[in-house]
Amino acid sequence: MRGSHTIRVGNRRVQFKFTLNRNITVVRGDSATGKTTLISMIAEYERDGQDSGITLSSPKPCCVLEGRTWQRDLSYITDSFVFIDEGNDFIRSHDFARAVKNSDNYYVLATRETLPALPYSVDEVYEIKNETRDRYPIAKRLYSGFEHMYALLPTVIAPDLVIVEDSNSGFEFYRALCAKSGIACVSAGGKSNVLAALKTGTAQRTLVVADGAAFGPEMELVYELALQKGAGLFLPESFEWLVLRSGLVKDDDLPALLANPAAYIESRDYFSWETFFTHELVVRTARSYLAYTKAALNPTYLRDHEMDAITATLPDGLLGRDGAGA
Amino acid sequence: MLQVYFGDVPPEVAPPGDVIYNTATYFKNVYEDDWITDPFAVRMIKSVDKSTVIDRNLIQSEALGMIPPLMLSGGVKTLLLVYNMPEKIFNASTCGNNCAWWLLRIAAERAKAGGGDVTVNLRHLMHFGRGRFSIRVLNSGTVVHDMAGMVSEAYDALFGGAAVGDAR
Repeated sequence: MRGSHTIRVGNRRVQFKFTLNRNITVVRGDSATGKTTLISMIAEYERDGQDSGITLSSPKPCCVLEGRTWQRDLSYITDSFVFIDEGNDFIRSHDFARAVKNSDNYYVLATRETLPALPYSVDEVYEIKNETRDRYPIAKRLYSGFEHMYALLPTVIAPDLVIVEDSNSGFEFYRALCAKSGIACVSAGGKSNVLAALKTGTAQRTLVVADGAAFGPEMELVYELALQKGAGLFLPESFEWLVLRSGLVKDDDLPALLANPAAYIESRDYFSWETFFTHELVVRTARSYLAYTKAALNPTYLRDHEMDAITATLPDGLLGRDGAGA
Repeated sequence: MLQVYFGDVPPEVAPPGDVIYNTATYFKNVYEDDWITDPFAVRMIKSVDKSTVIDRNLIQSEALGMIPPLMLSGGVKTLLLVYNMPEKIFNASTCGNNCAWWLLRIAAERAKAGGGDVTVNLRHLMHFGRGRFSIRVLNSGTVVHDMAGMVSEAYDALFGGAAVGDAR
């Protein structure tokens, strides 16, 4: 499956409206916000259709996956939105991760568990927000939608230490960029080590740079520690995404792809958007002076023109960047 | 004192039958009517679910109208289980952060009544607020007093040994 899809589910008392953009969406947040109510309504509609009294508007079938027969049940589900409520311990398993990896379904997981085997995006972690409106003089209806859990990231001005998740090309770029401003830059050596690097760091102002496309499992702990230590977080989709946005690659179709990646990224082929952007950059620069590999940075990217173009995609003020930012 | 165990609870900490992962299903099959009208439960239900207990089988929910106890939130169901069955270890990751204060209160109430510790299982970083508290993390035996301590303890337990680097 590819694309962004809006779903509406409602009954006389409550109406949910939300949009799914990628293969994995995680819904968490406070108790009593409506996660289980949403999934129960979808299950009832799946069982009884319109006879349930529930209205459901969706461009693809919606279904609920649960219980010990999940693998058998999932083997019959294709091109659908699959909802899973908390209490289903199979979502922590590597079997489930493998099933999601090769699937053309989109998955909505109502859980607070960290799920380290699933590379979900920090942009696809939501909580449900509710708003009561008077529908008729004697009845109120609850309108519920998804809101980003991490809409506002902590920022830091003029860091004295930058921790980069990546250990290869991305890190080489940030290290060279930081050297221009005399900022220390270290690699965490992988996303699972970012929290340890942040925890042991003694700098006054630390900035963490990680690939937001797959950083969802680590985010809760890193976010909390960043708040405690006054550190900032910069979480672009990936380093390759920044390069593609820099204008260095001139392909005519690239602006449309970057404006709406969901329309191009097939969930069956890409477990995470990060791998898609890496693939695109490698393919689009092959046999050119910009030929990109993830393992080692092509020195061309460290020349002034190329480095300035990539730096221009960073937010204002980040790592000494001036002027209009992303 | 409130005790937490991060991640899967091993048999040496508690036998499998005493560790309940799917708290909603367990609640449906074991709860007793009197649990709902207990004054402490009435306050929890009001606080977390914004709902008023009418009697043992009827609750007035702001969002859903008149509901039975089985339609309480997953968080309140787990709180009621922890409160009424402290000998078991329940999956408290079915509770949002708006339940954290109540977990501490349940442990305090039990201590005041001369009972033992209250133990829950966590599979995420629950936020217990910016103030000080005392929670024993059974994975290490450490007693933590703030969220900085909780982050440290949660990290090793939740990510230790996971192949997260490959999950892309």
